[in-house]
Amino acid sequence: MNILRFKFTYNSIPRLAFVLPAIFFLCSCTTTEIDEFRQSPTAISFDESIVILGRRQNNNYETEEDFVTCVADVVSRGQNSISVVDEQLFLDAMFPFFEPRTAPMRTGHLEQLMAVDVAADKLEEFGIEYIVWLDGITERSDQSGSISCTIGPGGGGCFGFGTWTDDSNFEAEIWDLDTMSSVGSISTDANGQSYMPAVVIPIPLIARVEANACSGLGNQLKQFINGSGT
Amino acid sequence: MTTSLTSISAHGALKGFLLSAILLLTACSATTINISGTFPAPLVQKLPLTVGVFYDDAFTNHSFIEINDNTGDDQYIINSGSSQIELFNTMLPAVFEEVVQLDSIDSANALNGLDAVFIPGIEEFQVGLPQKTRLNVYEIWVKYNMRLARTNGDYIADWVMTAYGKSPEETFQSVDAGVNDAANVALRDLAASFTLGFGNVPEIKEWLRSENFLEE
Repeated sequence: MNILRFKFTYNSIPRLAFVLPAIFFLCSCTTTEIDEFRQSPTAISFDESIVILGRRQNNNYETEEDFVTCVADVVSRGQNSISVVDEQLFLDAMFPFFEPRTAPMRTGHLEQLMAVDVAADKLEEFGIEYIVWLDGITERSDQSGSISCTIGPGGGGCFGFGTWTDDSNFEAEIWDLDTMSSVGSISTDANGQSYMPAVVIPIPLIARVEANACSGLGNQLKQFINGSGT
Repeated sequence: MTTSLTSISAHGALKGFLLSAILLLTACSATTINISGTFPAPLVQKLPLTVGVFYDDAFTNHSFIEINDNTGDDQYIINSGSSQIELFNTMLPAVFEEVVQLDSIDSANALNGLDAVFIPGIEEFQVGLPQKTRLNVYEIWVKYNMRLARTNGDYIADWVMTAYGKSPEETFQSVDAGVNDAANVALRDLAASFTLGFGNVPEIKEWLRSENFLEE
């Protein structure tokens, strides 16, 4: 009978440092689910633009600026790319109409805003066809494990193990400025577990949850606005 | 050899003492945060008014001290005066046809062509730090007292406005940067409410109508 035995020696540390990440790399994957709801047909020409704005009126959280920038990057690059107006540039130019307290929450408010000549003129100047509202957050849960590090005259090192789960939930609502109505929404739910084994040095094996949510949502949004969404 | 050891040990003790003194002084001193930022000019239809604006010393040099709950010492000194002035100097010329900065309220009488005098003031300033609130956001809340007066000093309106700003806590972000970001959001919030709400303050609306500044 063969019994697999592992004897821990100092010589085995480099081997362990290589094997452990390899094992956990396979485990630290992300699951992404994307749902699309279309109310009306959409299309965009090369001389028209969209703007992607983060919702920031919620008390408990606000949609991260980095996530908005990431989705805008995905939409404005690659095949069937769409021209995206920079969020901060748009907010400054349209100030004070899209601030957390004054931004239109429903398409009815958009109609009221378009009745203000200076605001309507500025929107036309940008050539914006669709406004995309992004709302959501990435939450961390199930954190467990511990890592302890020591340092002494002869050197230092860490030993331990940590793990956590990230869950990204974002929704994009698309408003058509011509019809002043909502044309649909796309929601994404991504989750994944990250690991941090530490054998002398901590090795972070991070599940790219938010990055996957961003690329999934961005690509779906591109298809949706170009009119090829399902 | 003994002398040498004594000298090294005395030198080390002196270094240790100086280091401890520096650490102690640093630990006791409050961190000063000077709020800075730029603000966009609001996109609104100008009111046909020539307004004098007076910033008093309390407003110009506004400073808030956050106390350390454990020691009772000053923890952070937040200076927002210069940013407040920057904001009002950007916002008011976008709201009114002409804005004149006054050295004193009394000087308004000597100037011809002024329709009103505007005097902003800060009544309350609050800061929410993640280390105290246990929320992962920096928050700033400000209560303003706005006054609009005739050039002879009679009040047209005296009203309260509040501004709120929050900024998410980020990894490796300093407290200074978090507070500054939240303050800038709060200042933008004030400018947004002021520009869109100025004409809707009942006393101001009435005055604008009575003086024929408002189109029916």
